[in-house]
Parts: sequence; structure tokens; C-alpha cells
Amino acid sequence: MIQSALARGREARASGGLHQHKLAPYAFISPFYVLFGFFFMAPSLIALVLSLFRWDGINDPRFVLTRNYGRLVSDKVFAQAATNTAIYAIASLLIVIPIALVLAVLLNSKSLRFSNVWRAMYFTPVVTSTVAITLVFQILYNRDTGFLNAPLIYLGLEPIYWLGDRSWAKVAIIILIAWRSTGLLTIYFLAGLQSIPEELYEAASIDGASALRRLFSITIPMLRPIILFVSIIVLLSSIQIFDEPQILTGGGPANATMSVVQYLYERGFTRLRLGFASAVGTVLFATVFILSLLQLQWYGVFRKED
Amino acid sequence: MDPRIAQRLSVVALHVVVISGALLTVAPIVFMIYSSFKTTTEIFTLPPWLPPAEWSFKNYEILLTNWPFPYWYINSLIYAGVVTVFVLFFCSLAGFAFAKYQFRAKNILFIILIGSTMIPFQLILIPLFILMSRIDWVNHPASMIVPWMAPAFGIFLMRQYIQAVPTELMESARIDGASEFRIYAQVIVPLVRPGLTTLAILTFLGSWNSYIWPLMVLRGNEVITLPVGIATMRSQATAAQIPYGEMMAAASMVSVPVIILFVALQRYFISGLTIGAVKG
Repeated sequence: MIQSALARGREARASGGLHQHKLAPYAFISPFYVLFGFFFMAPSLIALVLSLFRWDGINDPRFVLTRNYGRLVSDKVFAQAATNTAIYAIASLLIVIPIALVLAVLLNSKSLRFSNVWRAMYFTPVVTSTVAITLVFQILYNRDTGFLNAPLIYLGLEPIYWLGDRSWAKVAIIILIAWRSTGLLTIYFLAGLQSIPEELYEAASIDGASALRRLFSITIPMLRPIILFVSIIVLLSSIQIFDEPQILTGGGPANATMSVVQYLYERGFTRLRLGFASAVGTVLFATVFILSLLQLQWYGVFRKED
Repeated sequence: MDPRIAQRLSVVALHVVVISGALLTVAPIVFMIYSSFKTTTEIFTLPPWLPPAEWSFKNYEILLTNWPFPYWYINSLIYAGVVTVFVLFFCSLAGFAFAKYQFRAKNILFIILIGSTMIPFQLILIPLFILMSRIDWVNHPASMIVPWMAPAFGIFLMRQYIQAVPTELMESARIDGASEFRIYAQVIVPLVRPGLTTLAILTFLGSWNSYIWPLMVLRGNEVITLPVGIATMRSQATAAQIPYGEMMAAASMVSVPVIILFVALQRYFISGLTIGAVKG
């Protein structure tokens, strides 16, 4: 009697639990889909539609089909901003990634003492406010009294006009980006290095392979997936650059450092060309979408799980 | 050359390279803090290591009394703090569902989740702003909190952590009659504290340092954030009178607490950044 009553009670609870069990996961994930739908999906669709209109936010929108895109293609400032953004991306790929990779190998070395201290120092830029540090760099880049020009000034040479020269201003932005992102990329490479089996290096050192040889024939090939992953991250974040040129140079001199997002911000907010700016956003989206597909492929999301 | 000497030399070279790079990296931060004790004229005097004529907290005093800096600070703290609390709750809940339940349409919902990370924030910058003005959230704290409460990245991160929790623990709690939410609150949450800490740091930091969104939606000292406020210190002044000394004090007060926090919680921070990178 008692046994069966207990069993029945357990069953009832189990089936009640089962009902709950079916609905619970939907309740748990719903906040994301509600917020995503309202604040991201809907605005994205609005942006796509708006990119076909001419609208200043006040008067009635006027349908212009693809004329915004046509204008965009022939706009010299956009071409400049796209070129600048590409330069930032390429500089990050070709300069920051190799530095970060070598740095990770050095930081991972067993003969390095106090490596935690050095690691912490390299990672501080990752957490430092971009606005704060950009203002610091602005002082360091000053033509007449900036620290970066100090050697030239002491030697009596012509100081570099870092923020006023079209080419040097780009270099100034790239140095700042490098300063900010090297530590972050080093973190990824360090994580990757830890997954390389120690035996490979032992075997190589028995064979008498030099450190450089080990770097090129073990470390880099083994890190290939991480290098790809980091390259995509670098491309994605380069495309979205805004803070650095906005504060350091305001996009100048004469748009020489303006990024695509700055262009979008300026056209959309300062000039209130909302439809046109939406077209810029859509082009950005298409670029990021393609890069993200590559990234997802790498993550293995399209592979069947379990 | 004696191989042992060669070995020694390479170790010395390693240290020289690593340490000089590390010093170069922190130099701008040291410069920032050092400059915060100088007058603007002294900041622009070479060499930069010359000490100020008089060590003083004057820049900090001016910053706290003549500028609405305390407001900016409190605003930033509130936005970052509140958004972090919501992110921890919503992301761990959804991460739990994706890690431990089988339900209909799970795969497609997960693909939508991951796919959402493909939308660059810049695409929606303008329409989201239009939306904010339509629902009267321009200049309202909600614009800094509500849209950012359940980021897909956080859900993905929590899912990775929760997958590692043994499912048997859930089952035995369920047999004891615990509701699904209680299983989440009393079984899962205590076991994924490291994951929650990681997510908390990343979220707080992201909100604290964000610039373009608060720059757009917030106006007026009662609502703006620290980075926006500091940027206005420069843009409001005429070129000859930019208060660099006070700006360096402000920059130090934004960065230094976060850097200390980071050094203390480094382990969590790094595990959060690399969780996607190592798997795969």
C-alpha cells in the first residue's frame, strides 16, 4: 500500500516535471529572442528598407531604389574611407599578428622568469579605455613637444607632423591600433600554444633543430587554425574601427584617416542622410557577413553536433 | 662558442626583448598617471620624465569640483553594473537551456543565436537610434541597458561552461522534486561561478569602455558616461585651452581601477576570451 502510494506520488511529480521540462527551455531562452527581435532584427530590416529611401528624419521618406548605392560607389570620400579601413586591416594582419605570435612564443618560453608579470603588462591595453588612451597618444604625437618626436628634436632634425600629415596620420592610427590589440591577440596565441604537444619540440631538439626552425616547422603549422581565427577577428574589428580616428584625428587631415564607420556616423548623424547611411551600413553588413561565415565554418557550427 | 654560454646569452636576450616590450606597452599608461600630477604646460615639456614643479592632486580636485565628473562616473558605474546583472541572469539561463535540454527547433534557434553575432552593430546604429527616439529612450538610461541585456556571445560562453556540469546532478535534483528553475538556481549557478565571473568582467568592461553608442543616445551631464564626458572635455575647449592636466586625471580615474581589477581577475578574463579560440 504505502509502497504503491509513494510510487504513484513519484510518478505524478515526474510527469508534472516532464510538462515543466518541455516548456522550461523555451522560457529560459525567450529573453534573448525577444530582445534580439525588437532591438536588432527589426532595426536591421528597417536599415535594409531605409537604404532604398532618401530620408532626413523630418520630411517624408522618398523611394529612390538603388540610387543610394549608386552614389556610394561613386563617392570619393567613401572610397577614401574604405581604402583607409583596408589599410588598417592589412597593417593589423601584416604587422600586429606576427608581433603577437612571436610575443606569445617568447612569453611561453620555459626559461622566462616572472612570465606572469610580463603577461599582465602586455595585456593592460586590452582593458584600458580607448578614449582615455587615445587622448594620451594625442599628447605623445604632438609635433613640437611630443615624446615620439623627442629624438628628432634633440638631434635638431625636422619633427614629424604625426597628426597633420596625410600619411603619418595613418601611421599614427596604426601604431595606436597595434598598441591596443597586440596583447589581445597574444592571449589567443598563448592559448593555442598550450595545445601543442610538448613531444614535438622534444623530438625536434633531439634532432638538433634551431629555435627558428622549430618556430617555422612546428609552431606555425600547428597554430594554423588559431592564426586563421585571429585573422578573421582582426578583419572584423578593423572594419568596425571608430573610436581611434574619431578622437585622435577626427578623421582628418582632409579625410586621410576616416574609417568607414566614421563615414557612416558622419553621414547619418551630422548630415542626417539616414537612407544613405543605411546603405553604408548594409554594405558593411555584407562584408561582415561573408567574413563571419568563414569564421563560423572555422568554429565548426555547420558540422553536425553529437 | 661554448654551447652553455650560447644558451645563457639566448636566455638573457629573451628577457631583454620581453621586458623592454612590456615596458613599452605600459609606458603610455605610466605617462598618463604621471601627467595627471602635472600642469598642462609641464605635460608638453620635454623630456617627459621631468617631475612636476610641485606634486599635487590639483588636477583631480578641479576635475571633481569644476567638472561634472562625479556624475559621469556614477552614470557609467550604474549602466555597467545593471547591464552586467541582467546579462549574467539571462545568458546563464539561456546557456543552461542550450546546454542541457533537448527541445523542438533547438538547432535552428541555436543557428539564429550564432547568426545574430554576424550583424555588425554599425548596421543598426541608425535604425536603432531611430527606434530609441520613437520610444523616447534617447537620453534615457534604458537605452544603455535594455538592448544589451542578453548578448549571444554571453549565451554561447555560458553554454560552454554549463555543458561541463554533469547531467546526473540535474536528474537527481529533479527526482527530489525540484522545479526546472530551482535546478538552474541551486544546482547549475553555484557550479559555474568561474564562467559567470568571466562573463561579468567582459560585460562590465565592454559597457564601461563603450563610446559610439553612448555618444549617440546620451546628451547632457546627468546621463552621459565617462568616455563621452572625457571626450567632451577636449571638444568643448578652444584649442589653446584644452585642459590636458585634468583630462589625464580623468583618464587615470577611468583606467586605473579597471586595470587593477583586471590584474586581480586575469585568469577569468583570459579564459573568457579564449573559450572559443581553443575549441574547434
